Amino acid sequence: MGFLAESLRASASLITTLDPDLLSAVWVSLYVSFWSTILASAIGIPLGLGLGLSDFSLKRPAITALNSLTAVPTVLIGLLVYGFISRQGPLGGFGLLFTPEAIILGDAILAAPIVANFTLAAVRGADPAIVPTALTLGATRAQSTVALVSEIRFGVVAAVISGFGRVVSEVGVAMMLGGNIRGFTRTMTTAIALETSKGEFALGIALGLVLLSVAFAVNVILHLLQQK
Amino acid sequence: MTGPPLYRLDGVRKLYGDRLALDIPALSLREGTVYHLVGPNGSGKSTLLRVLAFLLPPTAGVLEYRGGRVEWREAALLPLRREVTLLHQAPYLFDRSVAENVAYGPRVRGADPGAARRRVVESLEAVGLRGFGDRKARELSGGERQRVSLARALAVSPRVLLLDEPLSGVDKPSAAVIREVIRSLPARGTTVILATHDRGPLRGEGDLLRLSEGALAPPDAGGGETGVGSGGDHHHADL
Repeated sequence: MGFLAESLRASASLITTLDPDLLSAVWVSLYVSFWSTILASAIGIPLGLGLGLSDFSLKRPAITALNSLTAVPTVLIGLLVYGFISRQGPLGGFGLLFTPEAIILGDAILAAPIVANFTLAAVRGADPAIVPTALTLGATRAQSTVALVSEIRFGVVAAVISGFGRVVSEVGVAMMLGGNIRGFTRTMTTAIALETSKGEFALGIALGLVLLSVAFAVNVILHLLQQK
Repeated sequence: MTGPPLYRLDGVRKLYGDRLALDIPALSLREGTVYHLVGPNGSGKSTLLRVLAFLLPPTAGVLEYRGGRVEWREAALLPLRREVTLLHQAPYLFDRSVAENVAYGPRVRGADPGAARRRVVESLEAVGLRGFGDRKARELSGGERQRVSLARALAVSPRVLLLDEPLSGVDKPSAAVIREVIRSLPARGTTVILATHDRGPLRGEGDLLRLSEGALAPPDAGGGETGVGSGGDHHHADL
C-alpha cells in the first residue's frame, strides 16, 4: 500500500509541475486522436448515412460486416497497416512508419466503423417523416439529406465523440505503428505501458489520471448530448 | 373540361409485400377543386396521397400529372414535387424556430432571404400565428404545430395541396383557422385533396372520393354529398 501511495504522490507532483514527458505524451495523444477522429468521421459519417438511407439487397450483410469491424483487435489493424507502410509495403516510399501520421492512419481505420455505426443508429432512430417532409417542400435529395443530418446532429456528434473516445484510449495501433518514440510518437497509453514495464509507476499513474479525465470528459459530453 | 386533367391514374396499384394497399383502375382529378378522400383507417388514403405527392412510386400502373406521364426518377420528380405539397397527419416540424420551418421551402428553392422572410410573415399571418416566428417549433401545442405546417406549405404556394387528416387531434380554434384556409385555396388556384376518415367538419364543401380497402367505392346514395361519377371506364370527380 505504501508503494502505491508513494506512486500516487509522485504522480500528483508530475501533474502539478507539468512534467515535460507527461505533457509531451498528452499532446501527442490528443494530436493523433484529433486528426484520426476527423479522418474517421470523414469516412464514417457518409458511410453510416449511406447505409441508413439506401436500400439494396446486401444491406443487411453490409451492416453485419460494419458491426464486426468495430470489434477488430487494435493489434490486427496495426499489423495490417504496418504491412502497407513498412519499407517493403506498397506505401513504404512515404516513410510513414513510426510517425504520428502512421498512428493517425491506423486509428482512423479503427474509429471509422464506430463512427459509421453510431451514425447509422442515429439515422435509424430518426423520425421517418424528416426526408419526405423536406422532399415535399421542394428539397432535392441532397438537401433532404442535409435536413436529416441537421435533425440528427446530436447523434452525429455523439458518433464523432465515441470515435475519439476509442482512439484516445487504444494502445495497440499506437505501439505498432508509432514505435513509442519519446517526444515524437509516445502517447499516453504507450507511455503507461512502457513506464509500468520499467517499474516507473508514478508517470504511469499520472498519465492514467489524465487519460481517465479525458475519458470522463468524453462521457460527460456524450451524456449531455443524449439528453438533447 | 378543357385541357388535360390535373391527375390521371390508370391501373395504379400499390403493394406492400403481398398486401394490396391501393388499386385504382382509372381516376381523373381536375384542377382548382377541393376533393375529399374519405375512408376508414387503412383504406389506402395516405398511400394515395403519397403517390399523388410523388413521394411513393406505385407498384404498377401509370400516373399522369397535367398531361405528362410521371417518370419516377429523382431529376424528373423534383419539378413535380415543387408544385405539390403534402401535409402529413402528424406533421414533422424541424427542430428549429417557427420562422425557419416556414422558410424551409422558399429557401431550398433558392429564394433570397428578403423574399423568404416576406413569405414567412404572410404565411404565418394566414394561419393566425403572427408573431410566432421566433418560437421554437417543438414547443408548440398540437393545433399550433398543425397550423405552422400549413403555413410552411402555403409559403411555397403549391399548385396542389394534399392534406392527410388535417383536423385530427386539433383544438377548435385551430380547426376553424385550418378550415378557413382550406376554403380559401381554390380561389387562389390551389387544388386541395383532403384525406379524412370523418368528413363531418368539412361536409358540404368540394367533391367526394370514397376509398375502401384500397379501391374506389361508389359514392353515398344519400346525404346530399357529391360522389364520384362513373364516366365510361374512368372515374371522374368532375361532378
